[in-house]
Amino acid sequence: MSVRLTARPLSIPQAWRELEGPGTGAVVVFAGRVRADAGPLGRVLALVYEAHEGPALARFRALESRARRRFGVTRSVIWHRVGRLRVGEVSVIVGVASPHRAAAFRAARDLIEELKVTVPIWKTERARPVRRPRRPRDRRAGRSAG
Amino acid sequence: MTRPVRVLFFATARTAVGRAEVDWPVPPGGISAAALAGELETAYPALARTLVTSRLVRNGRYVRRRSERVRPGDEFAIHPPYGGG
Repeated sequence: MSVRLTARPLSIPQAWRELEGPGTGAVVVFAGRVRADAGPLGRVLALVYEAHEGPALARFRALESRARRRFGVTRSVIWHRVGRLRVGEVSVIVGVASPHRAAAFRAARDLIEELKVTVPIWKTERARPVRRPRRPRDRRAGRSAG
Repeated sequence: MTRPVRVLFFATARTAVGRAEVDWPVPPGGISAAALAGELETAYPALARTLVTSRLVRNGRYVRRRSERVRPGDEFAIHPPYGGG
């Protein structure tokens, strides 16, 4: 079982190694990445993540216990980045190992959905402002002024 | 002189207040969570909107009752709705 809040890049191969073990018939790894959404502030260039560290790690551990109890998960990884992440960078990795695939899929889905709404982590957009074209009337006004 | 309460602001709460944390003086016997939130709202009016949707956290645990005492030396955090992932 592994939980982590870190400013350093997350490694999917490293997460995979954490999930190896005898008796593991199924491994599901989910990675969330920063999208280049068009938000209200413009095109997203980066997201800045912050966390209330102590309570966030405590909640990660509670989610691990829940995955073991509800889905019979034998190993798990819950890692989240903090700090400024550019578009395309991995912000979160949730991975589980269990004897069979059905439980592994359900557990991974449950972990990421619960993480998003119950762990004190927040993100703020850093965006490139949208440039609005000047209207023809504005251009005329500009010429007459010059 | 009693120790203050360390108040932590995150996300929209930090934006409203303009800083991440502040040391807040409280009486030796403490103050209710509701009263402390009220004092913060008075000091930082822009915080009012965020407080409506936020959870209050004392020493890493959710405040279950608004009458719960926040005592000198405690950590008191304002958690706007979460958005990890």
